[in-house]
Amino acid sequence: MTMGITSPTSNTGQILKNGSAVISFDANNNATFAGNVAPTVNSTFRNRIINGAMVIDQRNAGASINPTDGQFSVDRFVIFRSQASKLTAQQNAGSVTPPAGFSNYLGITSSSSYSVVAGDYFLVSQRIEGYNMADLAWGTANAKTITLSFWVRSSLTGTFGGSLQNASQNRAYPFTYTISSANTWTQVSVTIPGCTDGTWSTTNSEGIGLYFGLGVGSTYSGTAGSWVLNTSLFSATGATSVVGTNGATFYITGVQLEVGSVATPFEQRLYGTELALCQRYYYVIASGSGYISNAAAQTTTNAFGMYTLPVTMRTSPTGSVVTGTNYYRFLANDIDDYVDSVYANGQSPNNIIIGNSTQISNTQGRPGVFTATNAASFVAASAEL
Amino acid sequence: MYKLFCGGFSKEPDCVLLQKDNILLTIPFDPANTDYQAYLKWLEEGNTPLPADE
Repeated sequence: MTMGITSPTSNTGQILKNGSAVISFDANNNATFAGNVAPTVNSTFRNRIINGAMVIDQRNAGASINPTDGQFSVDRFVIFRSQASKLTAQQNAGSVTPPAGFSNYLGITSSSSYSVVAGDYFLVSQRIEGYNMADLAWGTANAKTITLSFWVRSSLTGTFGGSLQNASQNRAYPFTYTISSANTWTQVSVTIPGCTDGTWSTTNSEGIGLYFGLGVGSTYSGTAGSWVLNTSLFSATGATSVVGTNGATFYITGVQLEVGSVATPFEQRLYGTELALCQRYYYVIASGSGYISNAAAQTTTNAFGMYTLPVTMRTSPTGSVVTGTNYYRFLANDIDDYVDSVYANGQSPNNIIIGNSTQISNTQGRPGVFTATNAASFVAASAEL
Repeated sequence: MYKLFCGGFSKEPDCVLLQKDNILLTIPFDPANTDYQAYLKWLEEGNTPLPADE
């Protein structure tokens, strides 16, 4: 085989193999390949983080929350906290201009000046499903290096921390990053060697847990930069505590976790694609008044119908229904049966039953519909990790 | 308090209900569902759910 480069006689050129052009360059610096292009790293779906641009907020629709432990803010991003009312979380909190190329961010605001004790943790986290990281081969000798990148802005400066963990929380990699300028968006990149041991899910349970520390006590803090065995660590020792300063802010967006040792540009996915990815874990069936589903009276007091979910969820979902006086209605043959609640009983990852069995008085066999009748009515399906 | 429930056509309990303030959770018996895993842990601690309605 011989390789060659054509002598440039103009501003075009070719790379030759056995005398034939393999790559051709035109006057506008466009390259044309004679064969297929096969990059060693995926050019699409590189990012294992879902909703990394913080665009989707099904649960809160941009409203601020004073989160309970384990409550979700924007889709796929959950707040863990050991103490109540030390922070709030909100999509686009503070209404600052996001980094170029982004329209949204997740904002954390400290509600007090709280000094964390050893067992405290305040975290923003996303848990990556095993199916979405199986190719990393973690837990084997062939574990692949990954790079985590994100944009962050805080009213505080200093060294901040976070970690990666497996679901059993007996393999942890604390990391640090620096914010040098207050109230300035900073892009961070952290490269992490793959974990060669431990158990890492490759199916529909939790694979990798990603944690950003907002204030973590010594029990859950460790030395940054290496894998630590048999200890649950959420952050790095000495990291800045956001909850330690009343009114302190911590904003984050563009979170990307990808194979390799280089942070590539954030993978901007189509809105519909990102929404569907989120709906594998959470889906709003009804919010406010309106139609919910077809149904039928199976007995004089029991009506239900099957609702087909738009995306195959991770598991059979938990139904979550906001209840209140006459929040829902079974309407059949112009007879209104108002009920305080419906149940939403996940039958499989693909469908869920909407029904009521306590407040209906109708005719057996009569078809009808369930509707929501109050602005606060809310029905959702959750299959979160 | 968890309560067993027979949803849809089921004659046997196929889920548990959990009322948290004004939110009613309906938790299916799916081993991969994290709410069901929490329910199993609650059972292991020696607790017993309310029976399903007749």
